[in-house]
Amino acid sequence: MNKSSIALVALVALVAGFSISWFIGSNKPVELEAGTWFGEQARALPEFELVDQNNQPLTRDRLKGKWNLIFFGYTHCPDICPTSLQTLADMMKAIDDPDVVDAVRVYFVSVDPERDTPEVLASYVSYFNPGFVGATAAMGQLHPLTRSLGIAHEFRNRTTDNPAYDVDHSAAIVLVNPAAEFAGLFGAPQDPLALARDMTRIVEYN
Amino acid sequence: MQRPLLALLMIIPLAALADLEISDAWIKNLPASVPVRAGYLTLRNLTKKSVTIVGAISPGFASVEIHRSVSQDGMARMEAVPKLQIEGGTTVRLEPGGLHLMMMQPAQPTSPGELYRITFEYADGSRQSLQMEVRK
Repeated sequence: MNKSSIALVALVALVAGFSISWFIGSNKPVELEAGTWFGEQARALPEFELVDQNNQPLTRDRLKGKWNLIFFGYTHCPDICPTSLQTLADMMKAIDDPDVVDAVRVYFVSVDPERDTPEVLASYVSYFNPGFVGATAAMGQLHPLTRSLGIAHEFRNRTTDNPAYDVDHSAAIVLVNPAAEFAGLFGAPQDPLALARDMTRIVEYN
Repeated sequence: MQRPLLALLMIIPLAALADLEISDAWIKNLPASVPVRAGYLTLRNLTKKSVTIVGAISPGFASVEIHRSVSQDGMARMEAVPKLQIEGGTTVRLEPGGLHLMMMQPAQPTSPGELYRITFEYADGSRQSLQMEVRK
């Protein structure tokens, strides 16, 4: 083999390698208007097991194959959580392309597992969109997931005689790609139309 | 004798109150499993002097407080606003993600289209009532 054919083989291998990582990585560069795209900085989620509104396990594997938007909150939250979930419901309505709608999943993960039982979550998430998934778990299960996503949450004034306690929590929407990697973040406040355009871009480009 | 007096007492504060224009008053509906609702409205002070809200009640809810959602270091939390001052000539909006009415323990499940009466109490002792519409 002469020098130029070696160079050609190397070039082909290089291009092929890039192309493969390009397609399987789901991390092609996308310019987002409403959030931050991590691109090559996307990182795998740890293993976790939550329980969804139908008492079915919600694991890392279940996120695979879809573009997942996850919002963390609690149902007793009167302002931020309904506002964010309504924004996500409005986003789904605003997406024109049915393939994009099919590729996107929305999750509401409660960081208040004692009050937010699967039954409570079922009526809550379906109020916004029948396709939304609600899930929660004991703190020991939630923490590895929330920590890996940089989502902070803590109870405030939670005592036995205060059933109306609040939970402070991060209000960002987390983006998890079809490889179950933490791929981006949409900070609050969110705009449904900008989110719809961003999700359309992400799904169509990747 | 008592009834006309009571009626008079109720009329006077209302009459004294045309200074604050309240509009776009609505309550975000939520499923019955959630024992709290957020209320939103726009308060426009048409006078030159400041007006301060010191309380709110609604017969449909066990209690109503003014709260503010604040974001600090990426964390959202709520803080109570015991007194809400609206400076003369200014407009204060209670809207999603910011100031809101925290309406606790609805007496019955709410549904879109219903109207709830709410009464604000001001620092000068006067009161103002209005209807808030439940929206999806």
